[in-house]
Amino acid sequence: MRKPEFVYVTYIETTPEKLWEALTDPDFTERYWFGMRLRTDWKAGSTFEMVRGDGSVSDAGKVVECDPPRRLAYTFVNLSDKYKDDVPALATFTIEPFGRLVKLTLTHEGFAQGSKFFKGISGGWPAILSNLKSLLETGRTLDIPYAAFKAED
Amino acid sequence: MSKLEYVYVTYIETSAEKLWQALTDPDFTERYWFGHRVSSEWKPGTRYSFAKQGANSIEGEVIAADPPKRLVYSWNSCSPSDRQEGTSKVTFDLEPRGKVVKLTVIHDELNEAGVTFRNISGGWPMVIASLKSLLETGRGLAIDVPSSAKEAADAQT
Repeated sequence: MRKPEFVYVTYIETTPEKLWEALTDPDFTERYWFGMRLRTDWKAGSTFEMVRGDGSVSDAGKVVECDPPRRLAYTFVNLSDKYKDDVPALATFTIEPFGRLVKLTLTHEGFAQGSKFFKGISGGWPAILSNLKSLLETGRTLDIPYAAFKAED
Repeated sequence: MSKLEYVYVTYIETSAEKLWQALTDPDFTERYWFGHRVSSEWKPGTRYSFAKQGANSIEGEVIAADPPKRLVYSWNSCSPSDRQEGTSKVTFDLEPRGKVVKLTVIHDELNEAGVTFRNISGGWPMVIASLKSLLETGRGLAIDVPSSAKEAADAQT
């Protein structure tokens, strides 16, 4: 049985530098990532955390690679009880100039067999990355109900 | 069933009716689907095709058309590289979610040989990204690469 892997590709009218900023700057992520701020110094090996609006940490892991504005990789897992059998999985963002656009490829892999977290991120990433694209192209985020962000059980 | 399946989900700030129109109206598809115009009566059992400069690129049969919620058609590529892989199936599900629409594209019943799977895995993100931009900004994306990407893919086979 193949291990679960999530891959998402999109094209955004922006520059690699702006997309990099959007992926790493907490003021940016807060706007399209359902209020989530990323907390890390972006050095390989450093801790990586997703912080909710109320200051609590929802997800945690480590920075694996940081090569602006081309490649960003970190591991994380959600800290709620629901995912207690899960391990941090590796999310890798690859940014490639594509004419006047930027091609963004996200690969998320390394999930435990039968991972619940995999289901969670499979529902979350399309909403987050759709919102990111809209923000960079229109200056506004989408009004996606938070429920869309949650795993469909 | 062991056949390959491809799934792509996005959220678009639009109405289900506009998104339906964008999927079924040739003047619309021409703007985001690399210049390809779609034509069909959009009734189950009727034919549809995508064509550019008079040459069909994709053709098949409408399996279900339930505007503005669900569109299903069979998919036969007319390109030499993946024509022999036979018929696959595409389903579009349009679900209003507050002020946005969740669009799910499921392309399944794909041949294990994988040529069509590889082509559509590269194609759908471009088509849907451009569709989303067109509906949200009024402009499709300036993606000119598919023809050369396609040639590159063809050259590999």
